[in-house]
Amino acid sequence: MQISATQHDALVELLNIGFGRAGASLSKLTGQRVLLEVPHVAIRPLDQLNATLEELVKDEVASVHQVFSGPVAGDALLMLDPAAAASLKQLLTDEPPLPLAVDASGREVLTEVGNVLLNACIGTFGNLLKVPVAFSVPEIDVASLHLVLQRLTAAGDALRYALVITSGFRLRESEVTGYVVIILTVQSLTRLLIALEAWEKNQG
Amino acid sequence: MGRGNRLPDHISDAVLRWMDASAAQGILITDASLVIRGWNQWLVTSTGLTRDAVLGRPLFEVVPSFVERGFDQYYAEALTGQVKVLSHAFHRFVMPSAEAALRIGGQMQQAGRIAPLTEGLAVVGTVTLIEDVTERVASDQELRGRIATAEAASRVKDEFLATLSHEIRTPLNAVLGWTRILRSRQEFDVATVRRAIEVIDRNASAQLTLVSDMLDMARISSGKVRLETADVDLGAIAIAAIDAIRPTADAKGVRLVTDLAPQSAAVSGDADRLLQVVWNLLSNAVKFTDRGGQVTLGLSAEARTVLLTVTDTGQGIPSTFLPQVFERFKQADPSSSRRHGGLGLGLALVKELVELHAGSVTVASPGDGQGTTFRVRLPARGLLSRSSPRVQARGSADGVLAGVRILVIEDDLDAGEIVVRTVTSVGAVVMSASSVSEALELLRTPADCPNVIVTDIGMPNADGYTFLREIRRLPAECGATLPVIALTAYAAPEDRARALRAGFHAHIGKPFAPEALVSAIVRAVAGRGAPSPARPPR
Repeated sequence: MQISATQHDALVELLNIGFGRAGASLSKLTGQRVLLEVPHVAIRPLDQLNATLEELVKDEVASVHQVFSGPVAGDALLMLDPAAAASLKQLLTDEPPLPLAVDASGREVLTEVGNVLLNACIGTFGNLLKVPVAFSVPEIDVASLHLVLQRLTAAGDALRYALVITSGFRLRESEVTGYVVIILTVQSLTRLLIALEAWEKNQG
Repeated sequence: MGRGNRLPDHISDAVLRWMDASAAQGILITDASLVIRGWNQWLVTSTGLTRDAVLGRPLFEVVPSFVERGFDQYYAEALTGQVKVLSHAFHRFVMPSAEAALRIGGQMQQAGRIAPLTEGLAVVGTVTLIEDVTERVASDQELRGRIATAEAASRVKDEFLATLSHEIRTPLNAVLGWTRILRSRQEFDVATVRRAIEVIDRNASAQLTLVSDMLDMARISSGKVRLETADVDLGAIAIAAIDAIRPTADAKGVRLVTDLAPQSAAVSGDADRLLQVVWNLLSNAVKFTDRGGQVTLGLSAEARTVLLTVTDTGQGIPSTFLPQVFERFKQADPSSSRRHGGLGLGLALVKELVELHAGSVTVASPGDGQGTTFRVRLPARGLLSRSSPRVQARGSADGVLAGVRILVIEDDLDAGEIVVRTVTSVGAVVMSASSVSEALELLRTPADCPNVIVTDIGMPNADGYTFLREIRRLPAECGATLPVIALTAYAAPEDRARALRAGFHAHIGKPFAPEALVSAIVRAVAGRGAPSPARPPR
């Protein structure tokens, strides 16, 4: 499945609005200015996701995972390199970093950050499609990229697509790169792309 | 969940009763209008608000602080289907604790979740789960504290390694530099050679002190230091220490003054270790005193203690640094541009050694540029007259070994040469062997049987211990009864104890002081009766 330039631009614009809101929420939470950069968006068949992500994240990955259901259904993940996760946590809370495996409060903070971001992305789609979306409780995990993706692909049919959204958190003159991966069924993605074009026309 | 999988009503009721009465979390349920419909026992206990007081009332009326803290937005989003995470780090708590609890233990630390309750795709209410994370927060803090301590220790270690590397290289630089200068010369003038020897000697000695201090510190840290306790005259030790430091003080133009009470006091202790204490204090004082300054060593006996003071007119110690003076690896100026070298171990060693002697050491300095005084107090043992046995002091020993025949066994040529030169310079006659087998061969054909044997311990093929066993099998007239002195780089106290147990007559650590070797040989030969050395060293 291909995404047209129009659809792509509309998607970036919409996500940017969502990320703006997420950044505002994070700023309010942390009491410091948190900016989310304009996202970079790519669409990949699920079986190519592994290769795409391996270029971005090495070995282990800290992921916050939420399942969403309704007329648009799928999996949403925020992925961070564990070192990036630790430094993001430190930047946000001012507490010295610990390895995530032993840092319950760090895992909780990243879960909340992931929750804010994923809600912003999926909420944007829900608003666009004017359909309700139900979310699962977010879960954080530190595991190999391979294992994380295996769990996703094992969960259903392979005829799914992944929206890979790359953005950076900017705060305190530092930048931490994170990746949001949204996995959608063919039907959900088709529905989303049609709605995107309609939205773009209305804007014009 | 399909209709067939639905919980039977009586189980549903039981689950609700359990959540209400027994759940270890706070469970707050609202309808879609955010009116409170569920408030479990955990919430009753932690907020002090009874069910009668809250059920059926709007959430934000019961907990107005939710609006002040922006949670109203979270509930609005939960009503659209979103789940909201409330981490402890960002929010500290969800539900304010009861007034009474606030007065006693303060606000309970909490984390929480707000989730929609759905029927199909319609949101019919919200559920808020609240967790007590007080213990987790405390253990996290403890873990962070421990990590911070470990990191600080690791930083000290890194700084120490950097200093160590610098301190070890510095004297080597001087030694190698002057060695190369001498090697490049075709002809030698006496002044240059003297200067070279002086520099090489001073730097090699400095490095020896460095290595000894480090090993001592390691031994003290691992509790391996054993004092060889005897009645010791601290006055004699003070004089020996002054003798030892005098060349350094003279070279620097620092005046040494002694103020020793006429009747010095005895303490119970290890003479070598106490000498180390006094020497370290004097060395430190000389190091931090500029040319023209003065270092005074005082000794006085009180009723139950002996007080030793080292006072200098040097740069003094800033009051902020005074409490850290005796800590390891500490110097007031740790910067790379500092004027004074050293590892910062000397004073730490002084403190450890004095405390091993059941004594105490204190430091005082009126401030910058006003000098420093160290005071060591040791338990007194009783009074000794000044003529009591003294620590070996350097004396003229020319010809002291005249006529004594010595067999030297040493595999390292350079080390062997130093031994040979040392003993021949005082009149001894030397036979050399570079291995145990060569030595045994010499002894089996005794043209001139030696009076004493000086042997290295660590040697290839057969070591000093093997030699000792072998020689005991030789005939008594030349072999079995000969005194054998170990001269070895295995210089730790446990090495010394092992050597003496094995039957060596004496144990001398490398690098060795010439007079220590000579005096050990004198004692060994005197012990056998003949031939008696020309005169004993003082």
